[in-house]
Amino acid sequence: MNHLDPTGDETPPPFGGSWRTLYIVVIVNLALLVALFYAFTKVFS
Amino acid sequence: MRGFDWFVLAASLVFIVAYGVWKGRRNRDLQGYILGDHSMRWYTVAFSIMATQASAITFLSTPGQAYVDGMRFVQFYFGLPLAMIVLCVTAVPLYRKLKVYTAYEFLERRFDVRVRSLAAFLFLVQRGLACGLTIYAPAVVLSVLLGWNLYVTNLVIGVLVIIYTASGGTKAVSHTNFWQMVIILGGMVTTLVIALSLLPDHVSFLDAVHVAGNMGRLNAIDFSFDLQNRYSFWSGLIGGFFLALSYFGTDQSQVGRYLSGQSVAQSRLGLIFNGLIKVPMQFVILFIGAMVFVFHQFHETPIYFNPVETHRVEASPLAGEFRELQAEYDALSRAKTAEIESFLAARRAGDAVAQEAAAARIDQVHASALEVRGQAKEIVRQVNPRSDGNDVNYIFLSFVLGYLPVGVVGLVLAMIFAASMSSTASELNALSSTTIVDFYKRFVRGAKSDRHLVVVSKIATVIWGCLAILFAEYANKLGSLVEAVNILGSIFYGTILGIFLLAFYFKRVQGTAVFIGAVVGEAAVVFCYTSTDISFLWYNVVGCLVTIGVAVLTAVVGGRGGRPQPRAITS
Repeated sequence: MNHLDPTGDETPPPFGGSWRTLYIVVIVNLALLVALFYAFTKVFS
Repeated sequence: MRGFDWFVLAASLVFIVAYGVWKGRRNRDLQGYILGDHSMRWYTVAFSIMATQASAITFLSTPGQAYVDGMRFVQFYFGLPLAMIVLCVTAVPLYRKLKVYTAYEFLERRFDVRVRSLAAFLFLVQRGLACGLTIYAPAVVLSVLLGWNLYVTNLVIGVLVIIYTASGGTKAVSHTNFWQMVIILGGMVTTLVIALSLLPDHVSFLDAVHVAGNMGRLNAIDFSFDLQNRYSFWSGLIGGFFLALSYFGTDQSQVGRYLSGQSVAQSRLGLIFNGLIKVPMQFVILFIGAMVFVFHQFHETPIYFNPVETHRVEASPLAGEFRELQAEYDALSRAKTAEIESFLAARRAGDAVAQEAAAARIDQVHASALEVRGQAKEIVRQVNPRSDGNDVNYIFLSFVLGYLPVGVVGLVLAMIFAASMSSTASELNALSSTTIVDFYKRFVRGAKSDRHLVVVSKIATVIWGCLAILFAEYANKLGSLVEAVNILGSIFYGTILGIFLLAFYFKRVQGTAVFIGAVVGEAAVVFCYTSTDISFLWYNVVGCLVTIGVAVLTAVVGGRGGRPQPRAITS
């Protein structure tokens, strides 16, 4: 069986503390944008 | 276009080409030419990724899309940030760890050379043809609206890109992509500010937003789950996720961008930045289209935005009927403007009842105007049966040429050229990399020094560039452009995605089974394309699922369906 282990480089990001934190930032950013767009759609329609 | 516009356009193009040639002047080996010596900082990676994805047709078509259909197209990008996270976790560290030059090289390590060659071949066919369309799409719009010669425009875009891409490789592409993205963002923001300033004095920004919203142009979110609805929250989140995963994870024109990062961390940051910025950027582009729509509620509007088709109708026996429709459309537009003024007056006075009544009247007049415009489109189709009666691509540039001040017109045209050149350059770079790494270096015997490989890579770039220009010159026989690009991508993306998903997530399936699955998957897509009425968007699903299904079945029936163990990947 091949061993496909992508976790070869766990150098932390230069800012943000950890990659996990940055991934959460991306998800929260998306959620906020969706909420904002929803409010935008509702308020101005 | 006036002298200063030409100056802005020419200065931008000369700067881009000269900068690209200069930045890529020190390529001595294949790693430098294809991977840019892993020298790119995260912001260059990020802008290069964004510039590669944003082709000229994005900026020509998207504002027009908001003009006719509102902002719901923004939902198409909701899956992209999630795909960026998945790629950061899986593809980036894996590709970097294996020290691959192309995504397809990984497939040989995982399966065997046949799977690698098949995936690389499918990519070359698909991207080779799409590259011609990337050049042709803006050229046809510019030639129609500015009267430029289509063939010369194709040639200018293609040759400029070939010069710096062939000479400088990935370094030239990534660094020019960065500045092209700066020009694009600068052009977008300038256009938005000027579009708002062109509204009548008594119409505030908030008034404009209320008018756009009331007329259905700010419909950014739709949570309904409907498989027939092309752009909803769910189709964007789920469908967009798979599309972005396929495009950014398996298409060498994107993989090559983040493989050039200084480290895994820099490549990841580039993708994360793209995940943060892409959705708001598309929102702004669509919002520009919504504001152009509001602008046209207070100014004269052509009933059809493609002047070449309009002139053709005016020279036909149906010219009289078309003129009557334009007159009727003008009268309805004036009536609509009056109702919009009533709506705004009621809003300012806080009279909700009057506001609602005015809104209802606006809807009524607008529906009548759309009906008249629909009749005009039908005449266009009757006069020229090859026309699809779709003028979306011409709306934004008509506004730019008709109403923006001198200098800004040149900036917007520079933006469109920059977008076209950035996508084309990345595509040519990827086509050359794949040709040399996955075929020439892999199959042609004999000593191949780095210097030799760099030279043949440059030759491959020039050849692919010439083929793209040649294809662009003949692309006018293809009909609807955006559809042609999407159909082309859909024919191949599903199978390629299926191969990569098997590589990542089906560890028990090996080479032979994947190869059989891919061939059957591609055959199934070709069958769907030639013999059924299935919408092309479903080709991605069919190709992916048939490839995976047949490969897994073959593996089960044939005992893992593969050769003996390929060599281990971990070192």
